[in-house]
Amino acid sequence: MAAPMELSCWGGDWGLPSLHPESLTVMAYAKFSGAPLTVNTINNSWRALKGDLPVLVSEDTVISQPAKILNFLRKQKYNADYDLSAKQGADTLAYIALLEEKLLPALLHTFWIEAENYCSVTKPWFASRIAFPLSLYVPGKMSREALKRILLTKGGPPLYSLTEVEAQIYRDAKECLNLLSKRLGTSQFFFGDTPTTLDAFVFGFLAPIYKVCFPRVQLQEHLKQLPNLCRFCDDILTCYFRLTVSGHSPAGQDTADANLQKLTQLVNKESNLIEKMDDNLRKSPQHPPRKLTTLKLAAGGEESSPMSRLSP
Amino acid sequence: ATLCFQAFLQMCNLPIRVICRANAEYMSPSGKLPFIHVGNQVVSELGPIVQFVKAKGHSLSDGLDEVQKAEMKAYMELVNNMLLTAELYLQWCDDVTVEEITHPRYGSPYPWPLNRILSYQKQWEVRRKMKAIGWAGKTLEQVLEDVDQCCHALSQRLGTQPYFFNKQPTELDALVFGHLFTILTTQLITDELSEKVKNYSNLTAFCRRIEQQYFEGHEKDSSTIAARSAKRSLLR
Repeated sequence: MAAPMELSCWGGDWGLPSLHPESLTVMAYAKFSGAPLTVNTINNSWRALKGDLPVLVSEDTVISQPAKILNFLRKQKYNADYDLSAKQGADTLAYIALLEEKLLPALLHTFWIEAENYCSVTKPWFASRIAFPLSLYVPGKMSREALKRILLTKGGPPLYSLTEVEAQIYRDAKECLNLLSKRLGTSQFFFGDTPTTLDAFVFGFLAPIYKVCFPRVQLQEHLKQLPNLCRFCDDILTCYFRLTVSGHSPAGQDTADANLQKLTQLVNKESNLIEKMDDNLRKSPQHPPRKLTTLKLAAGGEESSPMSRLSP
Repeated sequence: ATLCFQAFLQMCNLPIRVICRANAEYMSPSGKLPFIHVGNQVVSELGPIVQFVKAKGHSLSDGLDEVQKAEMKAYMELVNNMLLTAELYLQWCDDVTVEEITHPRYGSPYPWPLNRILSYQKQWEVRRKMKAIGWAGKTLEQVLEDVDQCCHALSQRLGTQPYFFNKQPTELDALVFGHLFTILTTQLITDELSEKVKNYSNLTAFCRRIEQQYFEGHEKDSSTIAARSAKRSLLR
């Protein structure tokens, strides 16, 4: 059995488990591969100062970047890419590079550099999650780092001003979204019916753009014109994170079926125990044989009766 | 990078002449090499050059469907992300290589003390960039491992086909050829980088095939020009 693993990351809002793309990627991958992670959202912690969330702590190892965390999970046998062919694995690497080069700059810009978005949404939200006085410093630091990253990677000549760089990165991001939409097509996940690492990364990058309510939303509007990507995000949220748009657990068919299954399993276990007790009692000579009503398992609303009999 | 363009343009069957100039960076409209000079137009960088060539009626990726085009763009980004950054890292962040090869080579056209100043400036610039994208904390082994992963992915994608998208070469083939050929033929302190690439026999066969098909058929001194351009492209 693997040692207990704890993930520290930024919390969520607007129906998402986390607002931070990298944290969201790791959480999604953990759900897809069935890794038992305890998620600690940052709340009044000094760890945010180092700025390298998400962080996975397992026994003595501390791992910080999403790629390394995913590698660690794979080594612990939580592998969501088990069914992929080698070529599909290669495609995964390529598409992740595409996301990082083309989509990430625009994502960073929408969150941290676009003045209206930053001042009205991002800064207050992140500041509310960290202790004072760090809340005065950390959002500014993250914003400066984002700007530096964009300028250093995209801002060489012939783009001489920030507005030109912005125009270029949004063009690139829209093209990237179009390419992802074409690649996804009508299938449920990128490689068939089971989600993989690539789905985790795409979800991690797309969900914040899709769900967070910003004043300036050109990227979100473009994304909303690609219905298969929106459907992809919603599917993952409802199936793996049990959250709808409003953030409450749905009383949908999926949940009902899952609950029913769990209930049936529980009842089966209890009935096995009862039968064992029954046998024991029959074998022991002191007590007269007692008739214990054998429980009949029925689907639908009849589980309530065995449950009431089992409760002490 | 120069080699990528040469390969691309020759794949399009467009005749080109390669000229090496010391002030090439200043002649280029974007400050980046290489650039092409056609009639009275000057265009630089792979993206704009490809579009320019396409506008003139030559394109290598017309035969691809939408999903394949998406894949091609994704693989090009992978190459840019991994191989290019690894090459930069090796040239400018690995102290041994920097001292013995990069500084002398980069500063060679200029007199002292300009050569030292310019190469330190470039080094500082590259290191800043590495820090911004998170590569500054990587050791040489990790960088080599990333290169290996990238080559593995490319090798898997290529498989036994002659080109990445079966029968016809595309921009991706030109890009990959340019980078791999540079890695394979440039002399560095250690051969670890080229060893990583040589582990994948279909990639080396791919390079040799493109070299034979598109470069040796041309002018006799094209190979010397290619070698000189390979050396210069390592400086970028």
